[in-house]
Amino acid sequence: MLRTVVRKPIFMATRKAKVVLFCLLILLGLALLFYGVFFHFTNVWAQQDDTTVFAKSEPALIKEVSIGGVTRDSSGSLKQTYTGQPPQACPT
Amino acid sequence: MVKKTQLSNLVAKLLPKRTWIQAAFLLVWLDPLALRLHNMCGPVFHCYACPLATFACPIGVIAQFTAIHIFPFVTIGFLIVIGVLFGSSLCGWVCPFGLLQDVAAKVPTPKFNLPKWTGHLRYVVLVGTVIAIPYFFGEGHLLFICRVCPAGALEKAVPDMVQQAITGKTIAWPNALKLTILVLFLVAIFFVKRPWCRILCPLGAIFSLFNRISAFFIRFNLDNCTNCLQCHKFCKYNIEPEKSPNDLRCIRCLECTRCNFDALNFASVCDRQQKNI
Repeated sequence: MLRTVVRKPIFMATRKAKVVLFCLLILLGLALLFYGVFFHFTNVWAQQDDTTVFAKSEPALIKEVSIGGVTRDSSGSLKQTYTGQPPQACPT
Repeated sequence: MVKKTQLSNLVAKLLPKRTWIQAAFLLVWLDPLALRLHNMCGPVFHCYACPLATFACPIGVIAQFTAIHIFPFVTIGFLIVIGVLFGSSLCGWVCPFGLLQDVAAKVPTPKFNLPKWTGHLRYVVLVGTVIAIPYFFGEGHLLFICRVCPAGALEKAVPDMVQQAITGKTIAWPNALKLTILVLFLVAIFFVKRPWCRILCPLGAIFSLFNRISAFFIRFNLDNCTNCLQCHKFCKYNIEPEKSPNDLRCIRCLECTRCNFDALNFASVCDRQQKNI
């Protein structure tokens, strides 16, 4: 009976190696998540006013970018693209 | 003979209902409660501009964050966690865009296969339109992913155009490239199985990177294999499951686990079985 020989990379050969890599990546993912949710804040300037600045958390920034609400201007600062009510959806 | 696990038994029961399971997940992605949780990403390809989108699209978020030169810690961390747990299983069982393609594939039209190298184009799309172009040219560039994405075209632009036509307003047409890609996509889904997922999906490209190390994976039991090649017929995506059970091109529909000899099973790292390949 013919058997199909399946080659595998050596570093994948053991279940233990797979579990270790899995644990490391899970920890990395959770660390990035944790940092992003609780510690990552970015200053966003109001569209019209150069003195008003909001410190936005990353989840808030995610919501802003989903409506195209933030852009980086020529000076490198992050600015809101709207004043007052945010747009309903992303302009792209 | 390697015994079947509880997980593989469960998969065997659920497999005939895969399309229904995908449809059931629409209740999660299509925001039936109008929660609009766009400060969080969903793990599927679904445009956040769609009025029926519970979560933000992770690819759109990565591209937008790259355009403003901020590292998307939350999105990347989230995708790593999901990828390491499930690999591309979400593509096969949960993604609404995949469901659309699967339903279209049921239409009895001639089906064509894709050359294997086309699977690499997903990485070109990921690196090009999601990372490089946003980083160097910003979100205004024509090839910014959201400006060409068929999901956005289908889920936002087309409904908007229909609404504008009905209400008598001026119709805002999407750009020509987006429209062309949408039309090509809508034609392709009837003649190729999962063309977006196999050729262009950047989210699938990310998840597939974890296929070989994910907690849930397809286990090939060499002892059980009789080399009948039945799995080649079960797999609709031109993959040879017994040679590459956790292939990067695999969307983990798990059809190959229908193997009569239990040579291919859905397993987890918690399963204690010998000869894990």
